[in-house]
Amino acid sequence: MEQVLWFGWFRADIISEYGVLFWRGLQMTIAVTLLCIVQGTALGLSIGMARVAEARHAPARQICHYALRWPSSVYVSFFRGTPLFVQILLIHFAVLPLFINPTDGLLISGEAARELKQNYGAFLSGIVALTLNAGAYISEIFRAGIQSIDKGQVEASRSLGLSFARTMYHVVLPQAFRRMLPPLGNNAISLLKDSSLISAIGLAELAYAARTVAGAYSRYWEPYLTISLMYWVLTLGLAYLVKKLEARYGRGDSR
Amino acid sequence: MKLLHKIVASIGLITLATLTWGSAQAQTKELVVGSSATYRPFAYESPSKEIVGYDVDMIKAIAQKAGLKIKIVNTPWTGIFAALNNGDLDLVISGVTINDKRKQSYDFTTPYFEARQLIAVHSNSSAKGLKDLAGKKIGVVTGSTGDDMASREFGKTNPDIRRFESTPVVMSELANNGLDAAIGDNGVIAFRAQEHKQLKTVSDPGFPKEYFGIVVKQGNKALQDKLNAGLAAVKADGSYAQIYKKWFLAEAPALPAQ
Repeated sequence: MEQVLWFGWFRADIISEYGVLFWRGLQMTIAVTLLCIVQGTALGLSIGMARVAEARHAPARQICHYALRWPSSVYVSFFRGTPLFVQILLIHFAVLPLFINPTDGLLISGEAARELKQNYGAFLSGIVALTLNAGAYISEIFRAGIQSIDKGQVEASRSLGLSFARTMYHVVLPQAFRRMLPPLGNNAISLLKDSSLISAIGLAELAYAARTVAGAYSRYWEPYLTISLMYWVLTLGLAYLVKKLEARYGRGDSR
Repeated sequence: MKLLHKIVASIGLITLATLTWGSAQAQTKELVVGSSATYRPFAYESPSKEIVGYDVDMIKAIAQKAGLKIKIVNTPWTGIFAALNNGDLDLVISGVTINDKRKQSYDFTTPYFEARQLIAVHSNSSAKGLKDLAGKKIGVVTGSTGDDMASREFGKTNPDIRRFESTPVVMSELANNGLDAAIGDNGVIAFRAQEHKQLKTVSDPGFPKEYFGIVVKQGNKALQDKLNAGLAAVKADGSYAQIYKKWFLAEAPALPAQ
């Protein structure tokens, strides 16, 4: 292929030569990010609720303490206290083979396991690791949001006869959600950037495409500058979306 | 006052000593050698955190013959050429195959190892060579010769080619059934395959004979010449054969002088 130079130094031809890889990588990065935002938020909500669960009388009181608050604290502490990169490697090379293994998988074994591992192994491990990690961070956002609502409101609502669940659903969460939007947006942006770490286990996303080109040509400006710009555009888009959401749901506060 | 004089004098002496020691050091400048130590048996970290292997023994022998002082630095493969280019490394010995594409950007010494690509597959596989791997998931190290071979045969953007950072990762992925096959340099693949009993190796006679060379920055003729002279001496006096036997338990093949 003929060399194409932009501005005298940027070899555009090597990017277009691997164009398919960048295009599929972009799609993969977006898919992973969206999936992990949705699942991480759902997981974060449940863990966040578990962390603030309280009850006055036995045995619910003990259940809240030992079965909800304690395990969720350990979970959050582990996933916030260890590097995401290490979590990805741990899940892909140690945890997942335990569950999905052609010879003796706990969950799936035999030919189905081989098929699954070969086609979606890295994708699955990446999604699991990123979701578990994001869930821990998002649960802290939920906890902070819930705890930032004045205790008097919960007390008032409970004294009017609403249950804990209905108090949460009708009184606390709608107000807390408004306050949680900006940190949730930040978290979505970190998720997008952190997805690049999954390239280490061979998932063909954006960073993988750049690494492939850098490996083939020993040229570093072209591939890494290209994906930097692509990530930048994506995060700008996400930030814009979050701003729109804030404008829409923040209205209640500034009436 | 006397004490102060003593202190000043001793500081002066220490400074002087340090300076002369420093300049003595500068005269036999230590060359920084980059090697990616995930490449057993070529270069890997021993339990005592020392980098050992065939490459390490060879470069030490060569440096001794050429009268060079060297320091080996463990450098990740993906960044190794960038580090050579920006001057962090003076030379690279890391199982680098000599090929035309690389010769455009770097200079090589004469060969110090004869390499061939080798395929590793599950022991129940019927694959006889590269052609039989069509449609199979193939693991390679990013930018390696195996990557090149697979890319040329199946297309460089083929999603069936899975690229990883290092050979151990490729081989664990293969052993974990995440891949159907792995392609890499014979020395490393053979070593890793015998670690997992469910794997076997297949050699494709179509793979060309290749050579490993030591890499220097393009145009660094002085260093290239010194290394070549050292390498010639190492081959001539039998240390090459000895080192080869130590790591590969086989007779050393004759290497071309060019």
